Amino acid sequence: MAKAKIATVWLEACAGCHMSFLDIDERLADLVEKVDILYSPVVDGKDIPQVDVGVIDGALGNEEEVHLAKEMRERCKILVGWGDCAVFGGINCMRNFLPPEKVLEEAYTDTKSTVNPEKVIPGEDLPALLPKAIPIDHVVKCDVYIPGCPPDADTILWVFQEILEGRVPKVPANMMRYD
Amino acid sequence: MKEIILTIDGKQCSGVAGETILEVAQKNEVTIPTMCYLKGLTPIGACRMCVVEVEKNPKLLTSCTTPAQDGMVVHTTTEKLFNYRKQVLELLFAGRNHFCMYCSQSGDCELQRQAIEHGMDSVRYPYLYADFSNDATHPEIQLDHNRCILCLRCIRICAEKVGAHTLDLQKRGWNATVVADLGKKLGESDTCVSCGACAQVCPTGTITLREFAYRGKRSQCDDAVESVCPLCSVGCRFKAYVRTGSITRVEGLGTEEPDGGQLCHKGRWWLPQSTERDRVTVPMIRDGAGYREASWDEALSFVAAKFKPAYERGKAGALLSSLCTDEELSLFSGLFRSGLKMEKVDTFDGDVLRGFIKGLDPFRVQGVRPFTAAHHILDSDCIVTVCADPQEEAPVVASYVRVAVLRDGAKLLNISCGEDPFKGITDVHVTMPGKAIRPEFLNALAKTIASLHLSESDTGTAREALEPYRESLAQCATIAGTDPKVVEEIAACLIQAKKPVFVLGGCAAKNPDTVTAAVNVAIASRAFFDDGLGVVPLVTSGNSLGAANTVCASESWLGEEDLEFLYVFSTGLIPEDETMLASIFRTRFVVVQTPYLVHPLVNMADVLLPAPAWYERSGHYCTIEGERRRLNVIVPPKGEVRGLSTVLDDLAKDLGISIERPAVPPCEAVFASRVAPSAAQMVLR
Repeated sequence: MAKAKIATVWLEACAGCHMSFLDIDERLADLVEKVDILYSPVVDGKDIPQVDVGVIDGALGNEEEVHLAKEMRERCKILVGWGDCAVFGGINCMRNFLPPEKVLEEAYTDTKSTVNPEKVIPGEDLPALLPKAIPIDHVVKCDVYIPGCPPDADTILWVFQEILEGRVPKVPANMMRYD
Repeated sequence: MKEIILTIDGKQCSGVAGETILEVAQKNEVTIPTMCYLKGLTPIGACRMCVVEVEKNPKLLTSCTTPAQDGMVVHTTTEKLFNYRKQVLELLFAGRNHFCMYCSQSGDCELQRQAIEHGMDSVRYPYLYADFSNDATHPEIQLDHNRCILCLRCIRICAEKVGAHTLDLQKRGWNATVVADLGKKLGESDTCVSCGACAQVCPTGTITLREFAYRGKRSQCDDAVESVCPLCSVGCRFKAYVRTGSITRVEGLGTEEPDGGQLCHKGRWWLPQSTERDRVTVPMIRDGAGYREASWDEALSFVAAKFKPAYERGKAGALLSSLCTDEELSLFSGLFRSGLKMEKVDTFDGDVLRGFIKGLDPFRVQGVRPFTAAHHILDSDCIVTVCADPQEEAPVVASYVRVAVLRDGAKLLNISCGEDPFKGITDVHVTMPGKAIRPEFLNALAKTIASLHLSESDTGTAREALEPYRESLAQCATIAGTDPKVVEEIAACLIQAKKPVFVLGGCAAKNPDTVTAAVNVAIASRAFFDDGLGVVPLVTSGNSLGAANTVCASESWLGEEDLEFLYVFSTGLIPEDETMLASIFRTRFVVVQTPYLVHPLVNMADVLLPAPAWYERSGHYCTIEGERRRLNVIVPPKGEVRGLSTVLDDLAKDLGISIERPAVPPCEAVFASRVAPSAAQMVLR
């Protein structure tokens, strides 16, 4: 049987979800017997290829992330959202109480630790911020949600195993967590 | 009580007319998810989690507020209900800013638990991201409106159980927020009593207690041990959560208990904080300006050697804490009283306690139990506080008073020499000139009320009935040095009252005759409860009632002469009185046994002995709730700390005696009653 093709992308989030993915530990060896990870922060892919399973970790906070999310959706059969950021927006939503311009000012000029006497805020070279950071399903259809900050490695593995068995799983209560 | 039969999820369930569907379901072990519901608080159907389908009714009904009816066919687990509940949860998550990953209550949160149980793996609604504030103005309690689901449990417990009415709701719809007083921050509130009941019942991370945050979630704790609070005479029962050998939080029991599962500010903060205090860990003997460590054997034989000559000259005494358990007090009594026949044995709160004992004794000899369980204040329609400041002396009693007055419309009368302890809700307040209430006033009042009661059947309503007695009331007023109208008002209230109750403060016990006179008024106004007379004596500590029957001296002796030997047992939870410390200081040889390094007491010790702290001991307390309540070991003692029983047995051996253990616990005599309260006779001397 041909190996299932997988792509994962790390959008607006910390590295936690991918770390949790690597926490599958030695079972990762068994998993790669059955899957090819073609695109991911942990492999060296340049462009999202056509895959069976696409994974998004992180919320959508700027135009580039929206672009990548849409690209992932177009190129995968089943889209999985990893972690609270992808599912609920997560910690990125802390900035949703300020207008985007204030957010940039806060980040580039106003924080106590920042030295930026000319008050330069990068413009063209940064993708434009969305008005608010949003969960991925506000832009693309998501098939499997795995909330958690981060989700347990066991849950991530279980979802892959279920998909490999041909099912579109729903995380059961005993595996679900929000923190 | 008409029995009704319902069919819930195909199961025949029996209930009583007047019960709600939820109550019948719970009684019959059918689980319906709830969130705003808490047993003991008024159900309001705010969260809509408990909705059920009732056949022949097109609407979904909230089971917590819908009365159950005979023959109802109820479904609680249909797909429609499941989806509806899930939808409610999603709306709650979308409405405010619930971010579990940085909430201290994650794992203990009922909203989170319900959402997970309902398989909420995403939220289908757009989030509002409404900008709510986090009220961190209170030193202990944090109120983060971002996490509020408006279940109103906090508002209800504050009003219905604590009676403080600090919290309420402002604004409407999604903008509604819990607010203190009339729009103040919680830290600026005049009415908040800092009891933390709101945080105890909060289902989310909205109201949290700084002291307990991040010290271990309830779900992560190794154990939750029930025990009793030693700090005041109420002896509230509570649960202590233990994690890796330390107490991480304390909580009252269920809201359905008479006390509503409250703890007061003392219990809530002092108890867990006391586990962090510096301890006396090994026996120590004074060596010049400092101490040297000693073995138990050395320390105890040294104590025995110093004790003997002082004892023979009648210059040895023992001063004990009434925060000790019945068992410990019995041991002390067995050693010092029965064994050594010492006169000079007393408790720290001896003076107050003696006032109560002597004042109540004339009724006790009649075979009547001269007090009632404190929570019976809730059943009273007229509460009289006599020289009492319940919020200071026994805060949960203050809650009972406020709830009875504000929720149930009881009258509140205050007779004291000082301030009104319940400003704003007192109906009649009499301040007497001088420093103490004159018992003559209370006795005159008692006589007038008693004779009024005798003649009320033929004189009609109370006001008119007062006419012939105006004169004697005027006499009462003269004795009290107060306005006759006010005395008349008090008499009228007491005559009309069906179940008055008298709360006697420690100040009243300064003169035993005042206590007796107050009980006379209680008898005259027919303050009869099933368990005893309608009197709540606010004795000082957790087991003062137990001490009354064991180690409390019949007369005060401390400070009358300088002693040569004094054994002091302090639980270190309540600061010692200045004059007592002065007397201890003047004693030639002082043995202090205490769990904590209590200053200045430990500085006065010649021998310092460790003792187990409140959470390392077990035993029983006689509480003014009229119950013998059990103190349990929450964390086992460490190091050289030994139980009091072992230590005192060893000391007794060194003194060449053995300690007799009493067959009957002291509580039994305290709570005994042979005669119905209504048979009690006034004692007018």
